[in-house]
Amino acid sequence: MKFDLILRVGTKLMLPFILIFAPYVHFHGDYGPGGGFQAGVIIAAAFILYAMVFGLDAAKRIAPQSVIDRLLPVGVLIFAAAGLPAIVSGQGRFLDFGVYGHDFLHAHEWGILIVETGVIVTVASTMLAIFYAFADRGRQ
Amino acid sequence: MTGWEVAADHYNYYVTIFLMVAGLYIVIARGNMIKKLVGLGLFQTSVYLLYLAPGRIIGGTAPIYDKNYEVYSNPLPHVLMLTAIVVGVATLAVGLALVVRISEEYGTIDEDEIFAKDEDQ
Repeated sequence: MKFDLILRVGTKLMLPFILIFAPYVHFHGDYGPGGGFQAGVIIAAAFILYAMVFGLDAAKRIAPQSVIDRLLPVGVLIFAAAGLPAIVSGQGRFLDFGVYGHDFLHAHEWGILIVETGVIVTVASTMLAIFYAFADRGRQ
Repeated sequence: MTGWEVAADHYNYYVTIFLMVAGLYIVIARGNMIKKLVGLGLFQTSVYLLYLAPGRIIGGTAPIYDKNYEVYSNPLPHVLMLTAIVVGVATLAVGLALVVRISEEYGTIDEDEIFAKDEDQ
């Protein structure tokens, strides 16, 4: 599909909107349907679309395998670290989101957002890792 | 309520049962292993629907602390199905990996052809 003009131009038009839609779903997640899982899959879908149209090598130039492998545990660490500031500042116990702001509601919104950011990183990199594992087979 | 109204009120269960039976039929009737996995996915989706539909309250919002809202949907089935979706993705990846291996070994992903090749050996 590397030389198909309509697919290439269409994909280039779609990609920015897909990548903008992912943060929208992410920030919308605490009140409506959405959140880190869906946004992570949408981000991964943008990269997978790029890989399918422009080839796997082109996709690995912008999202290298080594970076993806490192982002997998980074997401889990963000998820766990979201609970730590309460302990470090001595204002509460693990997962006390009250330290993120003066107002209870705002502080908890921030806490959820940081947890969801960890989810987004892990889910997006997991989907890409699975896709790379399948697409790479039999190429060597 | 008349019998018809009761029957029409439970239409989400008809959709659930239709999806479940359709998925099961695809798993049994199709020889192509990718199509079997699609059927399995359809079957899983029907289970999500079975749990999510009763958990939704009309007019209810997300279970977020907010003074403007008083009616909340039950978050428990949603969280349960979120876990089920994640597990579903993982099992689908494992199934696809098995299909890739079978395709490499046999040169086909059709069940009948694989059985025929096993008989020949």
